[in-house]
Amino acid sequence: MQGIETIIVQLLVSVFSPEQINAFLGDPRTVAVIVGSMVAASGALLGTFLLLRRMSLTTDAISHTILLGIVASFLFMVFVLGVEPDLSSPLLVIGAALAGVATVLLTEAIQRSGLVKADAALGLAFPLLFSIGVLLIARFTSNIHLDADSVMVGEIGLAWTNANSYCLERCDPVVITPDDPRAETSRICTNCERDAISPRSSQAVFETACANCGTYSAAEAWRLRLIPEAPVLVYFPRAIGVMSVITLINLLFVGLFYKELKLSTFDQGLARSLGFRPGWLHYGLMILVSIAAVGAFDAVGSILVVAFFVIPAAAAYLLTDRLAPMLALAILIGVVGAYSGYDLARGTLFGIIQISDVLVLLDRVIGLGGQTTWDSSISASMVLTTFMLFVLAWVFSPRYGLIANFARRRWQRQEFAHQVLLAHLYNHGDQPEERAEASLHEHFRWSRERMRWVLSGVRAQQWVAVEGGLVTLTERGAHEVLDFRKTNLQVQ
Amino acid sequence: MAVHIASDALSISAPTTRLNTGKSSFEVEDLTVAYNSRPALWDVDLRVPEGVLMAIVGPNGAGKSTLIKAALGLIPRAAGEARFFGKSYEQARQLVGYVPQRGSVDWDFPTTVLDVVMMGRYGRLGWLRRPTKRDRDAALAALEQVGLSAFAKRQISQLSGGQQQRTFLARALVQEAQLYFMDEPFAAVDAVTERAIVTLLQTLRANNKTVIVVHHDLQTVPEYFDWVTLLNVEIIATGPVSETFTDENLHRTYGGRVGALTAAPEAAGA
Repeated sequence: MQGIETIIVQLLVSVFSPEQINAFLGDPRTVAVIVGSMVAASGALLGTFLLLRRMSLTTDAISHTILLGIVASFLFMVFVLGVEPDLSSPLLVIGAALAGVATVLLTEAIQRSGLVKADAALGLAFPLLFSIGVLLIARFTSNIHLDADSVMVGEIGLAWTNANSYCLERCDPVVITPDDPRAETSRICTNCERDAISPRSSQAVFETACANCGTYSAAEAWRLRLIPEAPVLVYFPRAIGVMSVITLINLLFVGLFYKELKLSTFDQGLARSLGFRPGWLHYGLMILVSIAAVGAFDAVGSILVVAFFVIPAAAAYLLTDRLAPMLALAILIGVVGAYSGYDLARGTLFGIIQISDVLVLLDRVIGLGGQTTWDSSISASMVLTTFMLFVLAWVFSPRYGLIANFARRRWQRQEFAHQVLLAHLYNHGDQPEERAEASLHEHFRWSRERMRWVLSGVRAQQWVAVEGGLVTLTERGAHEVLDFRKTNLQVQ
Repeated sequence: MAVHIASDALSISAPTTRLNTGKSSFEVEDLTVAYNSRPALWDVDLRVPEGVLMAIVGPNGAGKSTLIKAALGLIPRAAGEARFFGKSYEQARQLVGYVPQRGSVDWDFPTTVLDVVMMGRYGRLGWLRRPTKRDRDAALAALEQVGLSAFAKRQISQLSGGQQQRTFLARALVQEAQLYFMDEPFAAVDAVTERAIVTLLQTLRANNKTVIVVHHDLQTVPEYFDWVTLLNVEIIATGPVSETFTDENLHRTYGGRVGALTAAPEAAGA
């Protein structure tokens, strides 16, 4: 992970000045948007396949059970390796990946027993693993920083503060020895207390102690003002480094195994009979979901991360009927959602509506006690804006949206009513009493308005002619009846 | 067990009828599959010569689909083995094409008809390699063969049931296999599709391919197939349609339930 981060920093340094980089990556908004976008992109990539495999809710389970993985690797570090637990250790990622796979294995095992349905099996497996995680935290680790806030919503707004520094110039480490002028030395009497004598006594023995001797990196030396001139430092937020690696892994996985993932998602049986290993891809996917969830945990919390897996994929599903565009759209929706989510948290919705204006209005109408400022959770706002994008797709999607669906159904109903009328006229062509315009509606038990509407529709198509109060099928109309019969009422 | 012996006798007589090779394309030995404690297939022995069109018929729950799936390793076997041209399935994978029941996949999946057909080429490509123009051309040719050229770019949810079935057939065709397994391809399809499948079966046989079809319509067995296996958990009989598809065997397969159905095949077979 460090390696990738170093490469990114080197690339940045080769193009921009350190001041530019620090101004850019020292901006809370920029960092939150970058981290949020990468969480969203990873979620969208994996979430698309999970959605198509009807496994969306597995992310919910995994994002919880990785807690057990994290705690277990903590304990492993302390009790087995005997080292200080470190929140950025790769062991944490391995632990989380194992916990994710364990969740899926346990769920499948419960389900395979045939005694519990799939959704309940998931609901049995993950609270078990999660509660073991909570128990271990409570019993062994009283000092892990894991409060309710960070689990629920994360700290994406503070991501910029947790940064690694990279030194570019004047980077020599500073060594302070006791005879250095910068050394803070003091003479300490070593036997005064023991022998109960005054430091002024001639028997007193002195020793020189140095309070700040040691080796300092350039950054530390500058912070303690041990050197007169600041080294040139570039600060790189850790969350960006972590999420870059995770996003890259996901892109590689989906890019390399696109064909295999598509096949095994669409038709697992064929994938197996062609000699692929759908099982491997399945667990590979689960491992990546776990890793993405660990990375996103810090940024957006374990509950909201689910939204990044599910919402962009669900929106993209409504907008296209090809897999590759679906992946691209899901990423786009996730990134736009993350971007506008930060602004929403700071009070602007999609750059159009100022939340404070709305609050002022509401304050005037219902009275909010003068509470008209808005500054809210960034990650929750990101989820909200992404959801709004989903609603847009859901309502307005040209082919699968609510409006398109409604229009299509209405059109089909009208079409069908036309055919009913035509068929009636066809069957009763020789019975004038069945074709009287005034009483036609009674045969179908339709209202007069509906009858008028249907009749005007078929007349517009020149399928019928109305003469002397009688409705008669035209030649065109008779053709239409036969066509409809041929395609829809085919008797084999 | 008496049934078992009868089926052996028939398969021994097989080479004397139409086929002179005597080589078997598909062979099952002592295959037993159990769902929990209930046997779905019981000690099945089967030998299918090369180049036949064979129907597997039997009542619901007779294990017709199970036989195919267990042979291809898609479901676990309690006992027994299946061999393809004398090889295990892992060795003979390239020689075997499989057309599952069309209800086995989600037709709302975001992909095109052409793309689904191309999936049949993935086995030849193996891991990581991408389909090339040659694979695309093969897929287009297969779509032509099943009469779906005009639908290549359609999203698969826009297909009718029969068109879905033909898409699956095209997908199996591009595998360029020697032996095809088809699970109920004739189930609930329109007349156009039924004719398309029959033509396709004839073409495959003309090219000396072996096709094994799970079939539910007894009436059409003598017309569409030259070989038949009657299955009801155990093999009741297997062999050329003219010798095997008899009133007596059908009664033993279906019990008393076959009634009126037996009259037609007998008339057609005679």
